[in-house]
Amino acid sequence: MENAGRPQEFLTARRAGLVGCRHCGVAHPAGTMHCSRCGSALASRDTRSLQHVWAWLVAGMIAFVPANIYPMLLTTTFGKTTENTIVGGAIDLLLHGEVAIAGIVFFASVVIPIGKFLAIGYLALSVRRPTAIRGHSRQRLYEVVEFIGRWSMIDVFVVAILTALVQLNFVAAINPGIAAICFALSVAFTMVSALSFDPKTLWDAYETDTA
Amino acid sequence: MTGPAPADLDVTPARPSFWRNLSLVWLVPVLALVVSLGLAWNSFAQRGVLIEITFASASGISPGETTLRFRDVTIGTVEDVGFTPDLASVVVKARVNKEVAPFLDADAQFWVVSPKVSARGITGLSTVLSGVYIEGAWDKVAGTPLRSFIGRDAPPLVQPGREGKRITLISDNGRLLAEGAPVFFRGVEVGRLERPRLTVSTDMIVVDAFIEAPHDRRMNTATRFWDTSGFEVSLSGAGLSVDFDSLSSLVAGGVEFDSIYEGGTPVSPGYVYTVYPDEGDARKSLFLRSTAASVDIAAEFGESVSGLEPGADVRLGGLKVGEVVAIAAQVQETEFGPELRPMARLAIEPDRLGLPRGAGREATLDFLETAVAAGLRAQLATTSLFSRALVVDLVNAPDAAPATFQRDAEPLPILPSAVSNLPDFTATAEGVFERINALPVEELIEQAINTLASVEAVARKDSLLTLPDTVVALLEDARAVVNDEATRALPGEIRGAVRDLRATVQDFNDSEAIAKLVLALDKADAIATNLAQASESVPELVEELRAVAQKANALKAEDLIAAATQMLDSAEQVIGTEAARALPASLNAALDQVRGALDELRSGGAVENANATMASARDAADALAEAAAGLPDLSARLDRLAAQAETLLSAYGTRSDFNKETLSALREVRDAARAVSQLARALERDPGLLLRGR
Repeated sequence: MENAGRPQEFLTARRAGLVGCRHCGVAHPAGTMHCSRCGSALASRDTRSLQHVWAWLVAGMIAFVPANIYPMLLTTTFGKTTENTIVGGAIDLLLHGEVAIAGIVFFASVVIPIGKFLAIGYLALSVRRPTAIRGHSRQRLYEVVEFIGRWSMIDVFVVAILTALVQLNFVAAINPGIAAICFALSVAFTMVSALSFDPKTLWDAYETDTA
Repeated sequence: MTGPAPADLDVTPARPSFWRNLSLVWLVPVLALVVSLGLAWNSFAQRGVLIEITFASASGISPGETTLRFRDVTIGTVEDVGFTPDLASVVVKARVNKEVAPFLDADAQFWVVSPKVSARGITGLSTVLSGVYIEGAWDKVAGTPLRSFIGRDAPPLVQPGREGKRITLISDNGRLLAEGAPVFFRGVEVGRLERPRLTVSTDMIVVDAFIEAPHDRRMNTATRFWDTSGFEVSLSGAGLSVDFDSLSSLVAGGVEFDSIYEGGTPVSPGYVYTVYPDEGDARKSLFLRSTAASVDIAAEFGESVSGLEPGADVRLGGLKVGEVVAIAAQVQETEFGPELRPMARLAIEPDRLGLPRGAGREATLDFLETAVAAGLRAQLATTSLFSRALVVDLVNAPDAAPATFQRDAEPLPILPSAVSNLPDFTATAEGVFERINALPVEELIEQAINTLASVEAVARKDSLLTLPDTVVALLEDARAVVNDEATRALPGEIRGAVRDLRATVQDFNDSEAIAKLVLALDKADAIATNLAQASESVPELVEELRAVAQKANALKAEDLIAAATQMLDSAEQVIGTEAARALPASLNAALDQVRGALDELRSGGAVENANATMASARDAADALAEAAAGLPDLSARLDRLAAQAETLLSAYGTRSDFNKETLSALREVRDAARAVSQLARALERDPGLLLRGR
C-alpha cells in the first residue's frame, strides 16, 4: 500500500465534537467544562501534558547528575570508608571480573535511565514533529518506558537492603550516599514524566498530517 | 436536516501567553535544579583547599582513601598522588577543610603515620588496619597560608607550637645518637634528639635536639653534653664499674647534659654544643675550654714514653696544670751523634700555674725558666698502681743534674726532664711478685699437712695419751725427791762433811803432821842410817814405822774423796736426771714447782751454804794441795828410806822374821806413800769437780 505509513482517515472524539470524561467515561459535548456525572474537569486534550512531561523529565535529568557524581554507597570496613558511585561500583565489579554483574548494574543504573530520558524526550518531541516512526511503534515505545520505569528502582532497593542488613559497627557498615536519594528521585521523576505523557497526542500528529 | 450534525467546533486553539500557559509543574525541575546546585555548591564550599605535599615516597598513600589528620581528627583526604616533573619525589594532593587552611603556613609539617616498632615503643598501631594516614601539625597562629609543603620522613620530635628550645649538638661519633634518642638532665628526660646528619664539609655529626620548655632554661654556656648511650664498663684501681642509664638509652642511645660550672649565660636557640664521649670528658672539657690560652712547651724524655697519650694530665704538685697535646720523636744532635728522643708537647695553662689571669706566653716562660733553675723537671709518673697510663709530673728535683729551660729552642721551648723512678718501681713490684711466686707454698703446705698427719698419728697413739700422766708422775717423783728431807739435808751434810774434811785437813796442817812425818822420816832415815850401823834397835824402829804408816794409811783420804765424788754424782743424778733434763722446757707448771723447790733451797740458804761449802772445800783442797806439795818429798824420802831399808835388809841377807816384818813394814810404807800420792792427785783434780758440783 502506498499509504502504509499513513494512518487511515478515521473519526476521533475530538472530530466528533465530543469529549469523554477520563474518569467515568461519559461523553459530553465539546466545550463542556465539567463532567455531569462525576464532576471532574473535562478536556479533550491535556494541553499541559507536554509541559508536565518536560518538567518532570528535566527534574529527573537534573537529579540524575548528582546521582552519578555523589557516592551511592558508603562502605565502612575496619574504620576505612570507601565511597562508591554508581559507575565506580560497576567499574570495580568489572575489574574484579564480575562482568555479568557489572553489566547488569551498568544496564539497570545507567543505560535504562538514560534510555528513558531519551525515549521520553523523543516521544515528547515527536508529538509536535511527526516523524517517520509509525504511531504503533511510538505507542509501543511509550508502553515499554512506562513498564520499565518501576524496575528502575532496583539500585535503590539494593542500597536500602544492604543498608538495613550490613550494620556490623566497626567491622563493616554500609550507608546510603546522597546519590541514592538523587537516583531515587531521578527514577521517580522519570516515572511521573512518563505518566504525564498523554499517548493520545501521539496520534494527533496524524490528524494534523491528514488534516 | 440530515440528522444531528457535529456542531461547529471552535477549533481555534487557545493561545494564551506563554507565562499564563506555564504549568506549576515546572517548579519541580526548578526545585530539583536548585537542590542539586545547592548540593553542588555545598560540596564545593565544603570541598576545602587543595594543598600539595611532597614526599620522598608515597608509602601506602592511596588517593581517595588516605586521610589527612590533625590531632587525630580527619581534616581532609588525599585526592591525587603524582610526581614532581623530574620524578624525584612524590606529590600528594590533598584537600583539607577550609577551617584549618589558614593555619597551613610555613611551620606546618606533614608526615606519614605508619606502624613503627622501635626501642622506645610501638607507634601508629591503629594504621595497621586502617592504612596509613598523613598527620599534620602546625602552631596555633594563622600565618600566610601556603599551598605547597615538603613532607617529613618521620614525625617531628617536637610538634610546632611546643614550648622549648632547639639546639644543635656536634659529635664525632653518631653511632649511638639515634633519632628520637632521649636527652636527659640528671636522669630525667627533658628532650629528644632529631635525626643525626653528617656534615658535608667535616666529618662531624650534627644532630638537632629539642629541650622542652621549663628545662631549656637549664642550658647555658656552662652546659656540657655527653653521651650516655650504651653501657660503660671500666676497670681501674678503684675497681670495676658498670654504668648505663636507661634501657631505652642502652638501645637507642641518649645524651645527658649538666652545667659543670656556675655562672653560664643563657644561650639562644640554635646554640651549638659538643657531645663528649662521657661525663668525665665533659667535665674535663672545662679545661679544654681555655686551651686556646695555653702555652705550648715541649718536654723531652730520655726514656720510653709508652703509656703516655695525648690528653694525659700535666700535673704540678698533684694539680692539673696542663695537658699533653702530642707525642713525637725528635732527632737531637748529641756528642754521640744524632739521637732520637721522645718529645711530648705540653699545653700549660698559665691560670692554673697560679700566674695572674691574662698572663701571657712570656710571663709563663719566665716563670718556667725560674722554676727550672730552681730544679723543676718534667717526670713521667703513673696514675695508679695497675695502670700503665702515664702522666707528666712537674717535680722539684733540686739535686737533679743541672739543666736549663731552653727557651729559644725550635719549635718549642724545651723543659728538661728527670728520669722517672717508674721502671724501678715496676721492677721492684715485679721482683716482689716473683718472690711471692717463688715461695714454696705448695711444699710448705704439703709439709704442714704431713706434720699435722704425723702429729695426728702420734696423738692417736695410746702411749702418748698416757704420757702426761707419766710426766706428771715423774715430776711428782722429782718433786718428792727434791722435797725429800734427806735431799734437803744433803747440802747440810755435804757442808758438814766438807767442814769435817777441812777440820781434818786443818788438824792435819795444825799438827804439822807432814812436817812431823818428814821429821820422823828424817829421824827414821837417821835411825835407818844408824840402824845400818847398829841394827839392834831395828825391830822397834820398824814397829814404829809400821804404826806410823798405818796411821798415815788410816787417814783414808782416798775413801773420803771417793765418797765425796760419789755423793756429788748422786746429787747430780738427782738434780739432773735424764727425765728431769728432757722435760722441764715444755712443762712450765712442773718447772715452776722445780723452781719453787730451788727457791726453797735458795731461801733455805742451801746455795749459799753450798757456795760456802764449795769455798771451804776449795780452801781445804788448797790446803791439801799445799800439804800434798810436800807429799812427793815425803814419798821420795819414804822411797829413799825404803830403798835404804831394803839395802839394809838385803844386807841382812837372811829371811828372818825381822826381815819379813821389815819387808811388810816397808811395803806398807810404800803403800802409804802411794796412797798419799793418790790423795794428792785426787785433790789436784777435786777442786774443779767440787766447784762444778760434779
